[in-house]
Amino acid sequence: MAKKKVFQISNALTEGLEETVSAAHNYTGELRVEAIPLRKMELDPENPRDLILTFEDLYNGLDKDDKNYLRKAEEKATLITLSNSIKEQGIINPVLVYKHGDKYRLIAGERRTLASILAGKSEVQAKILDTKPEELKISLLQWMENVERRDLSLWERLKNLEKILSAFAADKGMEFNRVSPTDLGRLLGCSLPHAMNFIAVLNADDKVKALIQSNKLKNLEKAALISTIKSDGIKQNAIDACIAGATLKKLKSISTQDKIQKQTTTQLPAPSTRGRQATLVNLGTTKKIHVVRLIIDSVLGHEKLTHLKKHFTDLNWADYKSINHAFKQLLKTLEQIEAE
Amino acid sequence: MTKIIVNATHKGGEGKTTNSIMLAEYSALVKGLKTLIIDMDPQANLSGRYIEMEYDPAYRGGKIPAMHPDFEVGVDSGWDGRSSIANIFYGEEVIPYPTAISNLELLPAHSHKLQEAEAVTKNEVLEKVHLQLKRFLELPDVRNSYDVIIIDTPPSKGPLTIAAIKAASHIVIPAQMEQFSIEGVYGMLQLWKQESYYRTKENQINLIGILPNQVRDIKLHKQFLNGLKMMKGVSDYVMPRVIKKRAIYTEILVEDANPKSIFDLPKNNVARLEYESACEYIMEKVYHG
Repeated sequence: MAKKKVFQISNALTEGLEETVSAAHNYTGELRVEAIPLRKMELDPENPRDLILTFEDLYNGLDKDDKNYLRKAEEKATLITLSNSIKEQGIINPVLVYKHGDKYRLIAGERRTLASILAGKSEVQAKILDTKPEELKISLLQWMENVERRDLSLWERLKNLEKILSAFAADKGMEFNRVSPTDLGRLLGCSLPHAMNFIAVLNADDKVKALIQSNKLKNLEKAALISTIKSDGIKQNAIDACIAGATLKKLKSISTQDKIQKQTTTQLPAPSTRGRQATLVNLGTTKKIHVVRLIIDSVLGHEKLTHLKKHFTDLNWADYKSINHAFKQLLKTLEQIEAE
Repeated sequence: MTKIIVNATHKGGEGKTTNSIMLAEYSALVKGLKTLIIDMDPQANLSGRYIEMEYDPAYRGGKIPAMHPDFEVGVDSGWDGRSSIANIFYGEEVIPYPTAISNLELLPAHSHKLQEAEAVTKNEVLEKVHLQLKRFLELPDVRNSYDVIIIDTPPSKGPLTIAAIKAASHIVIPAQMEQFSIEGVYGMLQLWKQESYYRTKENQINLIGILPNQVRDIKLHKQFLNGLKMMKGVSDYVMPRVIKKRAIYTEILVEDANPKSIFDLPKNNVARLEYESACEYIMEKVYHG
């Protein structure tokens, strides 16, 4: 008997149709990418980045009598690599703008825009939003754009963050200082410890903040650590050490004095003198996987050991046997490192 | 607010022109709405249904609209007496033609001029072509003269089709339930998607849906239609009306057909009922979402 004919719209076409409709629904009015004339672009006066190089400086050339000439020249020099790559292949990610009258105002992509001018382009690819996004959204977009950037000072990042937090707090109808590290972590998509560091620094006293502003404290982790020290004397020690270039580890050891001061009542048990002399340490056992995980994560968080992380990415955390095995492996590896 | 409905798909023979005619005549004859029908297709088939089209002496095979009935030699200086929608791309005045159907006016095609606009590739000019129809239809004079504007497009994804989509408030995609046709639907959905990204939320382009057209009682058609209806998201855009393959739909387009419009057939005629139901569905969507 002849096979019964069945007609089907192919999977590829079905998928294409479904994806198209879904994309159209999800991004309605949000994804206009176009080449817009650079002459029609302007900077957002509220952009937290505060590059002082302006569009005019690039169009007209730097003015030697400008009191900011040196800094501007420096900024211009940092754009040259980017500008060369734009000459070669254009920008890879479009900049983000919103319509402001007959101009387009930059939300993100200041360096790309400046470098495009420098590259002699007349247009730049941009994602266009029709209206200015809400304060929270705009701050977040700028944050995302800037978060991984090295050339932003800690103070600039904090200023930006403050804006995000107050917009977020206003949005949720809560007070500014009630925003929790968890909220912040979620908002920025960063880890909890990172968010805690930010919150710590935002709550730092004026003295610490002044040091951050004057760029004497530059590192977030260090600044956060210092902000949490309670005792004034120890805090001053830590600040001095930090400015003198102390490592985070060194600062931690200074700050533990603070904790020891606070915890004078908790005494370490006196070492036992009875029985055979111990020659090894028993690491004990636990049923609680999160404890093991905490230990392993902390060890791997050590700056000299991060390269070991790759051995633990596939670990099945639900299986005691494989955790045991992994832990033993870790110990062995650590012992080898010690021996070297 | 004037409603602007575009019939578009880049595959030929799907029923764009027929559907434009039916919708326009339904709107004018049955609903009594002030209706303008625009022929953006250089083939100018639609124009020929309502006014006399002449062969273009300067462009072999091309057609141009006959002299406008309001044209008076000597009175209208600076006008050659013909007018087409293509004039908007040349900065020339556009004067609609009356038709034999009350409430229905026509802006005919001009083959050569439309083809020139369709062939534009230079970026700056292209942008002008894309936006020109929209600008024209936004003129208060045009808005105040019509309740409904129906646009027929060429079978392409070129500048003229894009111009029509940019001008539209609503899109209808007529399609046969066949392989190449569904691929055409895919292409049109891309244009719709791009346009919906581009527009603001307040001024969205509304896809009324895919109108299954020329459907026959064969397995292929049934199964493809069912396939479309099963697709996630897409199913919302498959119109719950179907136009079957019937001789009457092409017979009615013949020059001396009698009656001339499907809506002049007896009220209980199967074909009239079928198309009326489809048009009713579309108009209901246009006016009440």
